[in-house]
This record gives sequence, C-alpha cells and structure tokens, in this order.
Amino acid sequence: MKQFFQFIIIVLTLAVTACAPVEDDIFTTAHITVATSEELVITRVQAQVKLTNVNTRQVTTSANFEGPGVTVELLRGAYQIDIEGVATCQSPDGATVMRQFRCQSDYAECISKEQNNVTLNMIFLD
Amino acid sequence: MRRLFFFILIAISIKSASASNADSALVEHTSLEKLTQLESLRNPALHGIGYQMAFSQLALGLDLQRQSAAFVPEQGNGFTLPYLKVNTYRHLNGRSTVWGEASYTTGRQHGIKWNSTSDYDLLQPYILADTLGGDTRRERYTISGGYATQLSQWLLGAEVHVRAEQEYRGHDPRMRGVVTDLTLRLGGGYDLGTYRLGTAVEGNIYKQTNSVAFYREEGVIPEYQMTGLGTEYSRFSGDKRSIYYDGGGLAILLHAAPISDCGVFADITLDEHRYHRKLAEFNSMPLTDLYNEHVGATIGWKRDNGYRLATFAHVDYTRRTGNEHVGGTSDARYFPVIACLTMYKSRMLDCNLSALYGKKNWNVVLTAGYESQSEKYIYPHRQMDASHAYGKLQGQCFLRPSGKLLLTLNAQASYYASVDDKLQMPFANMGEGISWLIRHKHEFAKANYTDFGAKVRADYAWKQSQYGLFAQVGGGMTLCSASEHQTLLQCSIGITF
Repeated sequence: MKQFFQFIIIVLTLAVTACAPVEDDIFTTAHITVATSEELVITRVQAQVKLTNVNTRQVTTSANFEGPGVTVELLRGAYQIDIEGVATCQSPDGATVMRQFRCQSDYAECISKEQNNVTLNMIFLD
Repeated sequence: MRRLFFFILIAISIKSASASNADSALVEHTSLEKLTQLESLRNPALHGIGYQMAFSQLALGLDLQRQSAAFVPEQGNGFTLPYLKVNTYRHLNGRSTVWGEASYTTGRQHGIKWNSTSDYDLLQPYILADTLGGDTRRERYTISGGYATQLSQWLLGAEVHVRAEQEYRGHDPRMRGVVTDLTLRLGGGYDLGTYRLGTAVEGNIYKQTNSVAFYREEGVIPEYQMTGLGTEYSRFSGDKRSIYYDGGGLAILLHAAPISDCGVFADITLDEHRYHRKLAEFNSMPLTDLYNEHVGATIGWKRDNGYRLATFAHVDYTRRTGNEHVGGTSDARYFPVIACLTMYKSRMLDCNLSALYGKKNWNVVLTAGYESQSEKYIYPHRQMDASHAYGKLQGQCFLRPSGKLLLTLNAQASYYASVDDKLQMPFANMGEGISWLIRHKHEFAKANYTDFGAKVRADYAWKQSQYGLFAQVGGGMTLCSASEHQTLLQCSIGITF
C-alpha cells in the first residue's frame, strides 16, 4: 500500500512539472542608429523608421530620433527595416548641411530580451 | 483495408457471443446511474469490474445534424454520418474481463468555412484555413480493446484505442487530413477496507498530415496558417499548403469510491497534450506548438438502498497555451528557429452540481452549472470571452410492454443563459472575411441556447435465445438566441447478444 501512495506522489509530481513552456517576455527594444562613411557628424535626424516583422508582416513605426539613433519597442522577432528622411550633419569644416537619405535592411534580428542594437548605413539621395 | 476492417468487426461479433440476460445487461450498461462512475470507468482496472453482466451489440446507424447557420463555421453547419459499430463486454471467468469496440464511420461534413484541417476541436486555433471551404467527406475507423484482472485485493487492467481517420474534399480547395491517434491506458486498483482506490496512466500519440491542393490553376486562393482569433502566420501563408501535426500526451487518473454502493466518491484527472505544427516543405520547420492542459475533479456522495440517490460536484479546467516559433533567415529551404513566443492563451472552466434520483427502472438527473471561456491573443491584443449559467434535466425510463419487448426512453432538456461576454478586436486593421468570422463566432459564443431531445430504443429478445434485435431513434433541437437553430437525428438498428 505504501508503494501505491508513493506511485501516486510520483505521478502527481510529474504532472505538475510537465507544464507547458511559457515565454511571456515577448517584447524587446531595438536601438537603431544611422551611420555614414562620409566625414560627417550627424547631429539631428528627422525621419520615419518602419520595421516590418518578417513573419507576421506587422508594421511598427517611429520618428523619435535622438541624435542619430531611435529606440523602438517591438515584438521580438526578425525585421525588415526602412528609414527615410533628412539628417542635419556637420562637415569637417564646421558647416551645417542638410542631407536627404534612406536606409534599408532586409533582415535584422531583434530577439534578445535586452536591447538590440542595429546600425544601418545611410544612402544619401541628394 | 475496408475488407480487413469488416472481417475484424465480424470476428469480434462471433467471438463475443455469450449467453446473458440481454435486457438486464442493457439496463446496467446504459443506465444514467453510471454518470457517477464516468471518470472511474476510464481506468481499465476499474472498467473490468464496472459491469456485472456481459453485453454485446452490433449496430448500423446514422447520425444527422443540420444547423440553419453554422454555430462554429470551422466545424460546418451539419453532418451526415452513417456508421457500423460493434462493441462487447464479457467476463472470461470470475477474475478476468475483456471488452472491445470496432467501428467504421463514413459520411459528409457540410458547409465548413475557414478550416482545412481535421480534428478542429483538438488543434484549434492552429489550423490551416481558407475563405472558400465547402463540404468534406469523412472516413473513420476505430478499434479498441481492453483486459482487466483481479489478484486478491489488487485490480490490474490495460486498454488500447486506435483511431484512423481521413477527411478530404473532392473539389477545390482539395483539403486532405489523415489522422492516426493511438491511446494506451494502464490502470491499477486496490481494495482498502471499504474503499476501492484506483489510478491509471494514459499515453497518447497523435499524427496528422494535412494538405490542400488546387486542380484549377485560375482558382487558386491563399491558405492561411492561423494563429488564433483571426491572426495568421503571414510569412508561411499563401502557397505553403502542406503541413503535419505531431503530438501526444499523458494523463493521470485517480479515483476513490466505496466498494458498496453507499458513500463518498472522488475522481481527479490530470492531462497534458501537446501538438506541434510543422511545415512539411521546409525541412519540417516548426511553426507552432499547442499545449492543452486539463484538470478535472469530481466529488460526490451516493446511496443505493432500494432507490438510488447521488449528488456530485464536477469541475473541469482547461488551459490552452500556444507558442509561435519565429523563423530566421532561410538557407537552402531551411529556416532556423530564432525565438519562441507565447502568443495565444485560452482558459475554459466548467463547474456543475448534479443530483441523481432513481429506482430500478427509471432515473432522473438534474444539473446546474457555470461555464466560461476566455481566449486571448497577446499582441496585437485580441480577446473574446463568453460565459454561461446552465441548467439541465435528464430522464430515463425502462418499460416492458411484453415479456419479449423492452423500451428505453431517454429525454433531456437544458438551457444555457449568457452571463457575460467581451470582444476586443482591431477590426480597423482586419480583412473583411476574418472580421465576419470573428463577429459570427462571438455572436454564437455569447448567445443563449435552449436544447431538448428524446431517444427511444426498442429491444426485442427471443425466449431461450442469447440474441435480440433493437431499433433506436432519437432527435433533438437546439434553439439559439441568435435566431438560428440546430436539429439532430440519430437512428440505429442492430442485434444484441
């Protein structure tokens, strides 16, 4: 009889521990920075960043740039990133120039539960 | 395959023929009194001593259901399912019992929409779906068998159940679902003083291959990999029409009941089943995992002292959790899984209190309960809830107009009243078709339902013969406050032995 109750305790323990694996940390932050290979210091960016989730096709947008970077809160996943706008830059001779640009990435992973850093190269349109 | 199956049906019928008092056996095997043992009879060790009399039956029947509008579009608006079924239960000797069942069902499921997958109840919301749908043909084979024996105070039993099913459509979109479902149950029991304790472990293996084909090139429409409450896995929707489900689970059953017919009884059932949906054409890339966890508990008291009296409370709680796999960048049709997120959560609760009163030839059961269902898609947030309070009355009567004829009358009526409901959906960002589906489902989920039905069975037994004939006809109607209704017709004929 003792073994019978031991068996019941073992199966109940197994039942309790065999719960579904739940991953509730579904959101993350992506810090996207625009960069250029030209000798310019980016001081201000006025642009819209559009992040399209590769799997769900869900779109997240933001325009809250601080300096050359923007921080976006989004669902963890893989993203296609498009940025288009105007950047205020300072040239080596101290002059301020406005440059129209766009950035694009077909695939960027934002799966870390901490901040995901993504740097995109600017393509100047002017 | 079909010939082999019929051969098995006939073999079981012949082997299980035994002399028994067919009428008394029928009363024992179909009595509403068994409601108090519903859970414990799933334990094969206890099933072996669940009935005193042997009973076997071969039935040819038809189940027919029609709904004026589909209550759940994914399940269609009715079915026509003729079947052939044989079941037997017999005691080999004073200690051992065997039982078995085999059936073949074929027919049609009518008017299915937004579903191209078989076993919707089991696998929803992770199904393949399209906007067109249509009737499907179904073919189901089941076979099961069990054995139980008693060794002094110990009871031991084992049971196996196999289901093979295919569902298909003969016109575009040509869905096809082929299901294999195997369940093995091992049980034990122990007589401790005036009580009988029981436990059983159940293992299940489930497979389904599911695909959709189009023969007319100009008629091709997208197939959606649904992920719950109208959402879909867009990257793998469209032309990815071949998936399979790989699943299974475990269940544990515990029982305690008095050996005599008087006293307190209790049952607990814990089970967990998981179903993985995989994309066949991309190296079996896992798309979603569904976890169904269920706890059921019954506690009650019964007494049989010339008249039967039982009261029992029952609770069922089911938690469904859905995880979506995030696919990374592809490499030669191989998609690595870079993350797994819990996006779908569903909770179902059903609790009720029942009272049974009866004598030798009749039983009445009154049930009052509350049920609720809450479904959530985490982001973007979607939610659909509905809850009902319900009452149900069941009656059963065995009549003997002549020495050779036994009539069994069953009737039931129930009312489900909506208590609360909630719908939160981003309709502005949803397509027309999927918005219709969600609104339609919510309309029926929150509706009030009035259900009533009756069934009459006539058994004719020849004197000095172990064989008898029976005919059964039953009907029911469900009236829905959404101005729709459902009718059900069940009829069967066969022999008992």
